[in-house]
Amino acid sequence: MSMAHAKLKRFFQDFYLVLVLIFLYAPIVVMMVLSFNSSKSRSQWGGFTFQWYQQMFESTAIMEALYNTLLIAFLSALIATILGTAAAIGINSMKKLPKTIFMGINNIPMLNSEIVTGISLMLMFIAFGVSLGFKTILLAHITFNVPYVMMNVLPKLKQTSKYTYEAAMDLGAGPIQAFFKVVFPDIMPGVLSGFLMAFTMSLDDFIITHFTRGAGINTLSTLIYSEVRRGIKPSMYALSTVIFVTVLLLLLITNFAPNRSTVKNAQAAAAGVMPGEKKPNRFGEFVQKGILIATSFFIIVGVCYTTYRHIAVKHSDELYVYNWGEYIDESVIEQFEEETGIKVTYDMFETNEEMYPIIEAGAVQYDVVCPSDYMIQKMAENDLLAELNFENIPNLEYIDPVYMEKSQSFDPQNKYSVPYTWGTVGILYNTKRLEELGAPVPTKWSDLWDERYRGEILMQDSVRDAFMVALKMKGYSLNSTDPAQLEEAKDLLLAQKPLVQAYVVDQVRDKMLNGEAAIGVIYSGELLYLQEEAESLGLDYELNYVMPEEGTNIWIDSWVIPYNARNKENAEKWINFLCRPDIALKNFEYITYATPNTGALELMDEEYRENTSVFPDTSKLTNSEVFQYLGTEADDLYNRLWKQIKSQ
Amino acid sequence: MNKKSKQLLAFPYIIWMAGFTIIPLLMVFYYGLTDRSGAFTLANVAAIMTADHMKALLLSLLFSTVSTVICLLIAYPLAMILRNRHIGTGSFIVFIFILPMWMNFLLRTMAWQTLLEKNGVINSILSMLHLPTLSIINTPAAIILGMVYNFLPFMVLPIYNVLAKIDDNVINAARDLGADSLQTFSKILLPLSVPGIISGITMVFVPALTTFVISNLLGGGKILLIGNVIEQEFTKGSNWNLGAGLSIVLMIFILISMTLIAKYDKDGEGAAF
Repeated sequence: MSMAHAKLKRFFQDFYLVLVLIFLYAPIVVMMVLSFNSSKSRSQWGGFTFQWYQQMFESTAIMEALYNTLLIAFLSALIATILGTAAAIGINSMKKLPKTIFMGINNIPMLNSEIVTGISLMLMFIAFGVSLGFKTILLAHITFNVPYVMMNVLPKLKQTSKYTYEAAMDLGAGPIQAFFKVVFPDIMPGVLSGFLMAFTMSLDDFIITHFTRGAGINTLSTLIYSEVRRGIKPSMYALSTVIFVTVLLLLLITNFAPNRSTVKNAQAAAAGVMPGEKKPNRFGEFVQKGILIATSFFIIVGVCYTTYRHIAVKHSDELYVYNWGEYIDESVIEQFEEETGIKVTYDMFETNEEMYPIIEAGAVQYDVVCPSDYMIQKMAENDLLAELNFENIPNLEYIDPVYMEKSQSFDPQNKYSVPYTWGTVGILYNTKRLEELGAPVPTKWSDLWDERYRGEILMQDSVRDAFMVALKMKGYSLNSTDPAQLEEAKDLLLAQKPLVQAYVVDQVRDKMLNGEAAIGVIYSGELLYLQEEAESLGLDYELNYVMPEEGTNIWIDSWVIPYNARNKENAEKWINFLCRPDIALKNFEYITYATPNTGALELMDEEYRENTSVFPDTSKLTNSEVFQYLGTEADDLYNRLWKQIKSQ
Repeated sequence: MNKKSKQLLAFPYIIWMAGFTIIPLLMVFYYGLTDRSGAFTLANVAAIMTADHMKALLLSLLFSTVSTVICLLIAYPLAMILRNRHIGTGSFIVFIFILPMWMNFLLRTMAWQTLLEKNGVINSILSMLHLPTLSIINTPAAIILGMVYNFLPFMVLPIYNVLAKIDDNVINAARDLGADSLQTFSKILLPLSVPGIISGITMVFVPALTTFVISNLLGGGKILLIGNVIEQEFTKGSNWNLGAGLSIVLMIFILISMTLIAKYDKDGEGAAF
């Protein structure tokens, strides 16, 4: 091989390595850059700042989630390693048939889709009356971690000669001594890499955690998921950057500690993979011991703290709240705790459908929940709600009777629910994009079928909302269960699909703010937030909202108390507190969804109150309706048709 | 420790599996084989034959196969280069590929959205250079890219691991005996690295087949994969029986493909790390 040829080859190899590394690290660089971006937007650079780092360290939610994540990852990896290594040794000495069966079962969690593993574990915990919480997450993580440990330990076991063990015994070692002195060092690299992999898998898991977690406990993944609704907070990027830099530093220290390794040594290490196998040198040894001591310290402190929390924090006065993500000003919770002395455990859900089985199964006993209209009807029909004692909610007088009347479509006698927010669904448009496209401002639902908007439309990715658009456009009721009308709506939505850029739920906000699309179907409550954000970003376009002429969906989110609430009076205190005008105003200013509270309206800036997009004149909403629960049969029909649209 | 007492070591995990693997699995079967009222039915499993579900399954198969092949094509040369270079130590290389996984999965996938969007980072750079812009967000290409990105480490690590174990002397011997590079590769390296390739394929193919987060975030909700269908039945459609029924089908499907692949991996040597 000529020199030039070798050089060229090396160049191409280097080039290839760099390309792959860029591919792997590009998203991470993006996160790191965003963590210093003073603007919350994902695509606008607003200047350099450290404020997200400060916010991250100040946020107890993030710090607690980080703590939970690390503790669960560490404990589950540790237990899985012990369990898995022992099992691997046992199985290695089994006959072929039991071994095959054993391995088959062992591989199930790896082969199953995560969602099935998560849900099946949740079903079991619920069936056996285990309340969901820290321990259920830990159990689930151990379960899916053991196979990864086995996968790493078994091959190493196969490589070890069984004679070394016997030789050790012949030389006078006891069985335990022989194991720890002879066999264990041989399989150590496998054990360590198994641990490492288990730790990583646990750290990165979202789906299984999501289904097995209970009230008041978050890992980083579930916290991030609950933030997607209103856009990821940059403090999350800050946290990722900190983790990344810490791990990278640790890695560099352990690897590039002064080491007299020869090529042979490097090869040996490459074969065994873990640093533990390197020829010890003083500095490396020192670092390794340091890390070992640090981690043991971390476990001990962690375990003590968790036990302490479980024992010490037993308030006699508690309240378990279950609300939409980002649907309250958090200082309101603190104020409630201060004023009443009740300890609030606050949890969030993403969709009504996700909340329902949790309440139905009683896996977590929430005291007060905030579902939407049709879901309240479903819960009431299935006897999942307790009647409210309105004597305990005197502030109900501030709730405009109009909304109590509207609530009757899903809560006929106003027995179960107190309205919290309300709004409409309409079309948000980007003035500049429309000009560029030469398209008119949309005024009605049928405009969403205009060819000129091709690739510029964001539709709602939820069955009822999508069908509402098509049904209303045709002048039908949005609660229609007539198969012919629904079929017609399906055909319309199918015809519209080529024009749609994406079906999204919460990302309409982010995408519209970033100028990704010209028009999007959105909840009116998002408008104020979006307009303020657009202003603070100094965007060169406006985002405006229009309520389509054909009429739309009026939705109401209300507080209800589940049948199995343990602290019903506290829950009523909570509802009463939220109906207080100053509190309702505070919440409105934070979440910007219209409030039904007349007291809050009086205290409000005129600018807000007179914004007819947010507070439309209710008397003009005659052709708009509230969603009703249609029963399982109709639900199934909607879902079937929706799948046909989505799969085309 | 004799054989018997060694076998006892597996006992705790056997109990664990009974409690946390078998019982949950039985619950899935229970749900999948009953209807809402609890009566036995095969309708949920047979539902895979409807056009929508079949299409979603085939699409998932196509995407996961394509992304597995791409992963293999990227990973093999990479593992070869890493092997020949003896860069740093093994652990360092492993870390370089695991490190991205320590950033949250959701955040990483969202970051790809930021990169690929119409007004995203890549397009901003391209338009600054007066180059034509990309528009792959919300298309199958974006989903496959997301799959390759998320699962590539699972392909690189096992292949690298088996390649690193091959003794240089074996290769030198082949050369001495007159084999050229191509022959050395096809007769020596490739056969010896099969276990790594197999475990790589398994670890990429299965999660790619069942994912729903990637297709949701990068596919704009316009492409329905079988994972999305199952997720929707559980979280949005509230038809757990149907969701469980389809999961059973998916499970059987994966089992069959794994058995086929496992034929080539008789010794089960391919460890990921």
